[in-house]
Amino acid sequence: MTDFNRRQLLGTGFFAGAAIITPDMALAGASPAGWASAVADIEADIPEETMVLMSGKVPAGLNTTLYRNGPAKFRRGESAAGHWFDGDGLVRKFRVRDGKATLAARFVDTPKRRLETKLNAIVQPGFGTPSRAGAVINGPDDTNAANTSVMMSGGQLLALWEGGSPVIMDPETLETKGFKTFRRDLRQMPFLAHPRVEPDGTVWNLGGNGKGTFVWKLNPDGSLAQAQMVPLDRNSYFHDFTATAQHLIIVMQPWVQDGFKFPLSTAMSWKPELGTRVLVIDKNDLTKRRMFELPSFAFFHLADGWEEKDGTIRFDGCIEADPTFGQRAASALLRGEYIKAPTPMLTQFVLRPDGKAEMQMARIAAEFSTNDKRIAGQSRRFTTHVTGYRQTPFPHAIASWDWSKGRDDKFDFGDHHLVEEFLFVAKGEGERNGWLMGTTLNLKAGRTELHLLDARRVSEGPVATWQASVPLPLTFHGTIA
Amino acid sequence: MNNFKSILTALAMAGASFSTAAVAQNAGSSLTVNFTGIEDKQGAIMGVLVDSEAAYDGKAAPVRPLMVAVDKAEVAAMIDNLAPGTYAIKLFHDVDGNGKMGTNPYGMPIEPFAFSNNAVGNMGPAKWTDAKFDVKAGANVHSIVVK
Repeated sequence: MTDFNRRQLLGTGFFAGAAIITPDMALAGASPAGWASAVADIEADIPEETMVLMSGKVPAGLNTTLYRNGPAKFRRGESAAGHWFDGDGLVRKFRVRDGKATLAARFVDTPKRRLETKLNAIVQPGFGTPSRAGAVINGPDDTNAANTSVMMSGGQLLALWEGGSPVIMDPETLETKGFKTFRRDLRQMPFLAHPRVEPDGTVWNLGGNGKGTFVWKLNPDGSLAQAQMVPLDRNSYFHDFTATAQHLIIVMQPWVQDGFKFPLSTAMSWKPELGTRVLVIDKNDLTKRRMFELPSFAFFHLADGWEEKDGTIRFDGCIEADPTFGQRAASALLRGEYIKAPTPMLTQFVLRPDGKAEMQMARIAAEFSTNDKRIAGQSRRFTTHVTGYRQTPFPHAIASWDWSKGRDDKFDFGDHHLVEEFLFVAKGEGERNGWLMGTTLNLKAGRTELHLLDARRVSEGPVATWQASVPLPLTFHGTIA
Repeated sequence: MNNFKSILTALAMAGASFSTAAVAQNAGSSLTVNFTGIEDKQGAIMGVLVDSEAAYDGKAAPVRPLMVAVDKAEVAAMIDNLAPGTYAIKLFHDVDGNGKMGTNPYGMPIEPFAFSNNAVGNMGPAKWTDAKFDVKAGANVHSIVVK
């Protein structure tokens, strides 16, 4: 059998299975209007407030801050952003200290936001938004929405996008301090919202896709260690990548960029006949590369990877049969429409030393995969993920998948909660020895909630839940500090 | 984002024109150009003064090159002996003093650039129609924000 046929066969069987176990196509078109607040507009920064403890007990001595970022302003005047990914970033600071939880949130003060505020119109182009009259684009950072994630770097809180520079914010006041310039000639450079952080604090990241991608390496103090373009053999769109202790792993899905135009997503085509390629690059010598072939799939998110003694590489991610979500469904959300896209499925990737690659399905719906960051690059057993997709375009449950037992430890918040990414907060030695901290949007109460779960007893539900005074639209990613 | 490269093309000749500058001597108008809002107080403002759309688009020689050393947030260029008429200016701030408009590894401009009337482009240089201004008989002043 030729490689091509093998790939086709694997692809067919693979997603046929996925479709059978997630038979929620029947729900397509069912759009409870209730979820509209997931993508609603926030008009002003949220001054610090004390959240109300709704249930449970705050663990003694818990002192942690969860920063989260997500788009929170999509419409101005008669105009609207054309995609969920294009709203202005609102950075939220949830802090639990002295038995209390507080919330504050501030918009990232970008050139895009300033211009659009002045014009009272959405004019700057983006992933799914066209350029409109009044647009000012002298470089990528003029379109930077700074809305995707945050990271702590050298004492600074950086608001991350992917097509341009990080934005520096004060971690206490959330005041915007301007674009981060790692080196003078690296202004206006793309920097993905998914940096991979080694346990010692060394950061690896990528920027840009096309004939090449730019590899960023930062020292634990946030300074630039290395910056280098590496060639790619496919103009594949990627929102995320992963790494092991020794390698960078770039998954090149067959969602490829044909050229450059705004909105960006209209320059991208789905070409499943190309299959998926996985490029593995040696961290110590970026010219040492290996390529693996996999069936076609689309994806946004991966979790950390590791290598075994014999050189086998493993990592996991949330994959979709095609990129309908990014292409169309995430645009429709802003119009209050629910287009049923293929459900993202948790999958482990295995790259063998002999050059063969496999995918092992957990056979559960999963997105926003995260893991215990203390063991990034080392073998691990658990992946935390959102799940419970049903009547709305958003998940309703949080779970921790056990790769060794093939079991999901899941808590479902119920139909009226939209569940966001949860992150691990360490307590003691050992994977999962700690909490999962994350937020939901409680549609019934019309308020955002902060939850703390025992990472080893997810199905028992929150050990503590706090409620904010306001509903905030859903976030994408965050960090624990 | 290849369209940004047209900014480079548009401004590349600003530097190149130093060796080929046509010097139009014409006792008449004077023009003071104030460059404001400069963030990096080093290097030089490099640009061209042109008197036609062709010259603005790099298809004809500019009237005068502009080069002003930058040591503070506002600097100025004095241009004498201009014929009254319609002109435009395009410039970049050569912060690192290498005589070229700096780019990042993807070819994006990373040194400030500006056009007369503070005209802005959309993924490219501002257009002649937005950047052109009149120089009248006598003393004229034009200000450009460089950032």
